Amino acid sequence: MNRERFIRARRADWSHFEQLLGTLQGQPERQWRAVQVAELARLYRSICYDLSLVQSREWGSRLEDYLNDLVAGGHNCLYRTSPASLTSVLKYIVTGFPRLLRQRWRAFALSAALFLVPFILGTIVGVTRPDLAVLVAGEAELQQATESYSQELYTATDERYTGERSFMFGFYVNNNTGIAFQAFALGALAGIGTCYVLLSNGILIGLVQGTMLAKGGTTAVNFTSFVITHGSLELTAIVISGAAGLVLAQSLLLPRERTRMESLRHHGRESLQLALGAGVMLFGAALLEGYFSPLPIAPGIKYAAGSLAWLLVGLWLGLAGRERPVLSDPAGGKPA
Amino acid sequence: MCASVARRLVDARVVVETPEGVDFRFRIAGPGQRLWAWSIDSLIKAGALAILWVVLLMLGAIGGESGLQAMAGLATIGVFVSNWFYGSLFEGLMNGQTPGKRAAGLRVLRTNGTPIDLLTATGRNFLRVADALPVGYTVGLITMLLTPKLQRLGDLFFDTMVVSEQRSPTGRPAGLTKNVEPLARSECSRKFSVPERTLAIIERLFDPERILTEGRREEIARPLSEELRKRLGWSEVWQTEGNQYEFFQKQGYKHTRFLLRVLKTFAVDDAPGGRG
Repeated sequence: MNRERFIRARRADWSHFEQLLGTLQGQPERQWRAVQVAELARLYRSICYDLSLVQSREWGSRLEDYLNDLVAGGHNCLYRTSPASLTSVLKYIVTGFPRLLRQRWRAFALSAALFLVPFILGTIVGVTRPDLAVLVAGEAELQQATESYSQELYTATDERYTGERSFMFGFYVNNNTGIAFQAFALGALAGIGTCYVLLSNGILIGLVQGTMLAKGGTTAVNFTSFVITHGSLELTAIVISGAAGLVLAQSLLLPRERTRMESLRHHGRESLQLALGAGVMLFGAALLEGYFSPLPIAPGIKYAAGSLAWLLVGLWLGLAGRERPVLSDPAGGKPA
Repeated sequence: MCASVARRLVDARVVVETPEGVDFRFRIAGPGQRLWAWSIDSLIKAGALAILWVVLLMLGAIGGESGLQAMAGLATIGVFVSNWFYGSLFEGLMNGQTPGKRAAGLRVLRTNGTPIDLLTATGRNFLRVADALPVGYTVGLITMLLTPKLQRLGDLFFDTMVVSEQRSPTGRPAGLTKNVEPLARSECSRKFSVPERTLAIIERLFDPERILTEGRREEIARPLSEELRKRLGWSEVWQTEGNQYEFFQKQGYKHTRFLLRVLKTFAVDDAPGGRG
């Protein structure tokens, strides 16, 4: 068959395919009809054959480009991954996320150390050396914290409550979750940024806490009863996002048995899943911090709720999604 | 390593093998095209946020100071979503295209040519934070220049690439043979038809994606041109000694011109699609 005859014979199929591709790409997948998909697949295979024929006979780069575009379009249309469903997302949050986190416990432990050591140091410095605390954290920062915790945040019938708390909720989502996602993303640069975010946040939060505790009396009670509930989700999530960043850094620095590029791809998705889980936790923390923590109720109730929150977070992350011990068959095949 | 990278960059193509056993090519999008798409997206984001703030604050004003604050909180969440999820949501749900990428004719694909999913889209967009450091996507630009598929960090970690989907014109390149005359019958003493395969080689020599200087192109054109001249019995006699750049310039790129004339004479524009 020569080139002219080939084009004449195949042209109808090509334009039909082009049309079909345009129609299908223009509408959502669930509206595709089975007949259309079958037709597309049939035409796609025949055009694949056409392309390899043109390639092997070198029948002109323009013709090859045209068929190449058709094959690329068809490939993009036919081979795709199934979209994530809401159920799978929920299932991931409830069981998949804690399981993944326990698999990555080493990164979690390192991240926790990077956050907790400066946090504890900061608290000690805040209590024992107020002068040093002011030097590190800045006078304005500590002054502002002291003022806001030295009196009750709201009275029982405060009209400002709804507006102010919604404003703060938006701020917490944007600020805290943003910091967590940054801690994750900066892991891609060998983890230097991640370490910085963990260390600096640890020391700052510790200093504020130490200073408040040193004031004693109402200030200390107001502060601890305010932070205890949402802290369970917030502090844990910051550590988890740090762990996600450290996983990225590890995949870059220590590829082990993989090539470096393979290592990046292998760890990229899992660390992202960790970071997104932390994002969900921080959204919950912002809700608590916005609307529950400042409620004008007895500190005792807040301490009780806070302890419960820490317990639940611990149980969830520690135990949810455990796999039943498998006694035999490591290959995972089912007995007949 | 440098030489091989450069060679691949000049071509800017990636070959993907389908399960059907056919190789097909993607054209990788360059930093300029991606900057263009990014600029459009930035404008859209800024515009959408401005409208969101105005509308929400106007709504909030009805509820007095408290309402104003509540709506400002909501708008801040809007800022958060546009910062972190604009690219992810569009690329994940619109098959690898944000509005800006669509306008620029770009698409994000996995490196095996298949569409990306929502998680992949989220990952590559989150890592913009790292790519954008220290200013103006410097890190991203550097890794793009070091990788054959022009991938920034977000692309490397999540196995994606950005391809240009501007369809190649399928007809013969129109402007190429504009300034030359077809060979006249009287100029050739022998009957000979130039096969399509040879015409394809000539076309490839003038492919704008292959960056060649005029002198180098003339040098490459010479052996083919001489052989064709012999077979066609083309009468004019050339002096072809030496291969200095100045020599070709003095000759006025005769071989290049001759090949273009051959192309004009024998190539029939019959490619499908009809776009030219």
